[in-house]
Amino acid sequence: MDFKDIFFYLIAIYILGTGIMAVSTRKIFRASIWLLFSLIGIAAFYFWLNLEFLAAVQVAVYVGGIVVLIIFSIFLTQKTGNQMAKTGTQQTIFAALASLLGFALTAYLVYQHHFGSNQTQELDASIENIGTQMLNPGDGGFLLPFEAVSMLLLSALIGCIVIAMKIKKEETA
Amino acid sequence: MISLENISASIHQLLSANLSQTAVILIEMSIIALLAITLFALLGLILVFMERKVSAWIQIRLGPNRVGPKGIFQTTADTIKLALKEGFVPDGADKFLYKLAPFVVMIIAMMLLAPIAFAKNFAMWDLNIGVFFITAISSVSVIGILMAGWASNNQYSLLGAMRSGAQIISYEISAGMAILTIIVLTGSLQISEIVNSQSNGWWLFKGHIPAVIAFVIYIIAVTAETNRAPFDMAEAESELTGGFHTEYSGMRFALFFLAEYINIFIVCAVGATLFLGGWMPFHIGAWEGFNHIMDFIPSSVWFLGKTFFLIFVIMWFRWTFPRLRIDQLLNLEWKYLLPISLFNLLFMTLIAIKGWHF
Amino acid sequence: MITFLKQYFTDIYEAIVSLLKGMKLTGYYFTHHKEIITQEYPENRATLNLPERFRGEVVMPHDENNEHACTGCSACELACPNGTIKILNKFEVNAEGKKKKAIDTFVYHLELCTMCNLCIVACPTDAIKMAQTFEHSVFDRSLLTKKLNQPNSKLREGIE
Repeated sequence: MDFKDIFFYLIAIYILGTGIMAVSTRKIFRASIWLLFSLIGIAAFYFWLNLEFLAAVQVAVYVGGIVVLIIFSIFLTQKTGNQMAKTGTQQTIFAALASLLGFALTAYLVYQHHFGSNQTQELDASIENIGTQMLNPGDGGFLLPFEAVSMLLLSALIGCIVIAMKIKKEETA
Repeated sequence: MISLENISASIHQLLSANLSQTAVILIEMSIIALLAITLFALLGLILVFMERKVSAWIQIRLGPNRVGPKGIFQTTADTIKLALKEGFVPDGADKFLYKLAPFVVMIIAMMLLAPIAFAKNFAMWDLNIGVFFITAISSVSVIGILMAGWASNNQYSLLGAMRSGAQIISYEISAGMAILTIIVLTGSLQISEIVNSQSNGWWLFKGHIPAVIAFVIYIIAVTAETNRAPFDMAEAESELTGGFHTEYSGMRFALFFLAEYINIFIVCAVGATLFLGGWMPFHIGAWEGFNHIMDFIPSSVWFLGKTFFLIFVIMWFRWTFPRLRIDQLLNLEWKYLLPISLFNLLFMTLIAIKGWHF
Repeated sequence: MITFLKQYFTDIYEAIVSLLKGMKLTGYYFTHHKEIITQEYPENRATLNLPERFRGEVVMPHDENNEHACTGCSACELACPNGTIKILNKFEVNAEGKKKKAIDTFVYHLELCTMCNLCIVACPTDAIKMAQTFEHSVFDRSLLTKKLNQPNSKLREGIE
């Protein structure tokens, strides 16, 4: 086990530990903070894989964007200091079953798959390569999904504006 | 000639001649950590003192002048005072998050330091996505503020934290746009390449009017992002008694205070790198003699000089302009800065494609 | 639409101009240290430069004949908002055998005074004025109750 492996296990333990804390704590704000730490751990994992761009996107989108939105909605809706009600036995059993099933499925798939022993092809994860691939209309390019996602975001933006817009009522004399 | 580059290279040679690779990495990492912490402490002392002197001179006062010659040890005395104070935790606070929040803010400020080039070939981690790394990590700092505001169990803190969150999230966009405007010209996110692309002139001068507009927008946006006056709604002493750090005292408060100044240093360093050529000396066209004299000044001095000039500009803002109201603040961002920076980006892209820049 | 755009850009232009104007002023102060008005008090006691309108305490000027201008009319006592001044009068018999009102003691409570200047404005004969002394600390509060007219002082001739 060399240095890199030790780091892998450290990061993995960190992600799992904070993830378990996120679902087991009974204060909702703390749960979101643990989720945040877990997501940062995943970003660290991407850094470990030398995928810097992906890691930075993970931090910017999930940590800086989505968790902040979650925290804002908690601030606006919940009595954040209170402890939430304990989960019932039935719910606990089903949750445990669901996670066990998910774990079993993943483990099964991983053991079925035969990983090639010699991965000679280096992955070019530089920002230039990602950019050209993203806007490449030819083979191996991702222009169509990219544009489709941008349409989705645009429609979400327009929806927000429509909801937020004040419609002036016709003035009646 | 002695330079930071040579010193770091010779230390690396000395270590790798005697030790194994892993040990070299570990020792170098601890040296870097030690240097970073020292830099933080020094920056805190210098910038707080600078802020107090600048504010005093702008307000026709003398400023600190009792502790040491011209008062230069005033901030040291303040630090000792803060270190000796009781770190108070309010009743009903979420103790764990309350104690964690200042460290989160501080650690994020430390991480931002990694890709910055302090001198020629002298950066901790010159990674491929340099500038994007800084934008991404700095978006996390709002979490520390939200954590502090919520954990304090105080309405003022919570309100300050929410304001700060809204402010940072919205101003991040135009700061990002201003950065992108320069990235369009450099074609790279790596800090060393951005600096190298300015060897024949700074982007502020080479990029015509769009670069100047981007520079102004960048300065405005980062002033808001670091929660400084005239955008310091998060702290707004007169309305919120202190915002998210109302309940903090002693060293925990000092960490927040320090992180604010470190963040200013970092955004100014990024601004200097993008617009003012980082550690590149100032050159004028064909004046060989002048250019040669400019080359003689060490690159670290150039970098620190530019950074401190931008810091001074931001301090100048703080002590000149009155605080904005929260709706004025959001108006400024969404109705003025964002549309202008979008059009500016388009215009700059046109310039870059046509090759109109120098 | 055109008017909107015109308004939009005029707003931006005016905002920038007014902000630059402010920065020009503060920049001037930053670079011109001779404008600094702070005084390093204990060190510069000898060369202290007090502004003309600085008010330290109420005094009653006496001339070389130990004469003052106070007729004891109590206008100042009435004008004072917080009872700082108390005038005790006496009746003197002058050379012609006529009784005449004069002050016995002009009591001034410095510890109550807010330096509002109302007594000086109210005085019809300009008998009292504001002095610029300000180092008033004493160890006993009673020392702050002062008698403004000097012993054996008289009303100056010709002041009614």
